[in-house]
Amino acid sequence: MAEPYLRVENLIKKFGPFMALNGVNLEVYPGEVHALLGDNGAGKSTLIKTLAGVHQPSSGQLYIEGKPVNFRSPRDASDAGIGTVYQDLAVNQLMSVTRNFFMGRELKGPLGTLRMAEMDKIAHDEMLKIGIDFSDPTQAVGTMSGGQRQTLAIARAIYFGAKVLILDEPTSALGQKQQMEVLKTIKRVRKRGDIAIIFITHNEIHSQLVADRYTFLALGQVIGAGKAGELSHDEIRRLMAGGAEMKDLEGELAAI
Amino acid sequence: MSDRSEADRLTQESAFMRLVRRPEAGAFIVMLVVVTAITFASDFKAFNALGLKNNIAIISQFGIIATGAAMLMIAGEFDLSIGSMIGFAGMSMAMMLKWGLPFGLGEATPLTAFILTMCMTLFIGWVIGTIVVRSGLSSFIVTLAFLFFLRGVTEVCFRLINQSTQISGLPDFKEESWVAWILGGEVFGWVYDLWFQLGGNINRRGEQWVDGFDSRFLWWLVIAFCAWFVLARTQKGNWIYATGDNKDSARANGVPVNKVKISLFMFTAFCATMFAACQVFDTNTADAAKGNLMELNAIAIAVVGGTLMTGGFGSVIGVAFGAVTFGLVANAVFYIPWLDGSFYRVFVGLVLLAAVFANERIRKRITGGI
Repeated sequence: MAEPYLRVENLIKKFGPFMALNGVNLEVYPGEVHALLGDNGAGKSTLIKTLAGVHQPSSGQLYIEGKPVNFRSPRDASDAGIGTVYQDLAVNQLMSVTRNFFMGRELKGPLGTLRMAEMDKIAHDEMLKIGIDFSDPTQAVGTMSGGQRQTLAIARAIYFGAKVLILDEPTSALGQKQQMEVLKTIKRVRKRGDIAIIFITHNEIHSQLVADRYTFLALGQVIGAGKAGELSHDEIRRLMAGGAEMKDLEGELAAI
Repeated sequence: MSDRSEADRLTQESAFMRLVRRPEAGAFIVMLVVVTAITFASDFKAFNALGLKNNIAIISQFGIIATGAAMLMIAGEFDLSIGSMIGFAGMSMAMMLKWGLPFGLGEATPLTAFILTMCMTLFIGWVIGTIVVRSGLSSFIVTLAFLFFLRGVTEVCFRLINQSTQISGLPDFKEESWVAWILGGEVFGWVYDLWFQLGGNINRRGEQWVDGFDSRFLWWLVIAFCAWFVLARTQKGNWIYATGDNKDSARANGVPVNKVKISLFMFTAFCATMFAACQVFDTNTADAAKGNLMELNAIAIAVVGGTLMTGGFGSVIGVAFGAVTFGLVANAVFYIPWLDGSFYRVFVGLVLLAAVFANERIRKRITGGI
């Protein structure tokens, strides 16, 4: 059994009296897609924000390659190889693909000048690796589709050293075809073998298309986990709904 | 169908179309129209030896402050205190030259007066920037406060120390001080020498008429070049665009958003001080009303030059075109006898409105809003 790149042990996060996460355990392996599922308010966002260094855990421990780590800031987390691609993607619409790709981490020559040709080439090549061929890296991000922007944000995170790629609902707010593009991108990143992907989604079909491993959250607790082969379709649907039986839901709906 | 990718949907444009769609294009065309119209309407007087010098003088003044205003606007903020800062800086330098340095530090030289004033204005710029980024208040309201505050301070200082709101009759420092000379003297004399040798530039007595441009022309070129270089070619430029476009995503990617904004508020203060220094050492006078309404001219020129009001987009070259346009129209009354001076403001109003619509079109095209 390979060692998990990232391990979360008994993670508890309280906001005042509110228990956001109540003892979460999670193991993330390189070369795998780990689907993190749960209803609104289940604690998914709190969990990934803790992994990304935005929140500090109230108790519990994170391990990177077996070593305990504490992230005091998002910078600590990204230095440790945790790249988070949030829903808003942190891209600037009016700026070019290249300028977005290197935003805040530009390649500098003498006098702080940008090494533009080199940056154009890197941005182009890195995006090609995970599936988009950009003829023009000077085009503004505003002209790109949602799926393409997602690819840009993912390629950027990988290029700047992400070993764990956290994708926060990358397929929501996209059209059918673009959702498939993003799933293909996830598959291509997985194929590299050295990057662990945490895939947060509401969509059980998407998760079943790409995920190797599942963790289900409800009310801040893990209510189910397992490998892709071990969970049946119905089991996944049941856990998605926070553990409620589909039959019960159907019954409740019929009663109204 | 299947081998078509999303990237194919963006048509590659020809080099000409790209040129036409640059943010500077509109400003360039307006400039061409204005230059042509004024050339003929003034019967070429606007561009004779003296006309050119005087036009370049006001164009450079506009250019210096509009460059600062545009850089700040690209980073997503406004500075309404530019005009009052010009008055304050001019008052400060002239008062030191007349009454000596503050705190009994003795006689002022042009160098010490200039340096001390620059330190004060940069500090005020830093204070304004810090208030804006720390409080999260709109820069419009914070700098509006400084518009009143600085103008008031300027008038109060004049009345308390000088008993009059203007200073005139300062000695001409340009003779003995190189600082005064590079700020208020003349540059590019060789252009006019050459012009004279080629048979032009002659006054009624048959001597050489004009000796050189005001040195603020050189300062404008230097400031505009540096601003263009920083914005288009350096890491700091990328940070300025990123800050103005969406400061949250810029911050998430490690751009020091607050530092960018504060340094640009200091840059507008620097531009205002250069404007004032050139004026003081050129004319050897100061007046409490100097620089009045200049902040609005600067913003109007920046917008006409293709800078977006919402930030994240703009060009220093476009601003230069805008400065030429505004400078020529502001001076046109001197060369076209039948023209009423107030037509300048009519023109500014119309061009500004047209420019805002044009810029909005550009923004929508880029962000896919059409």
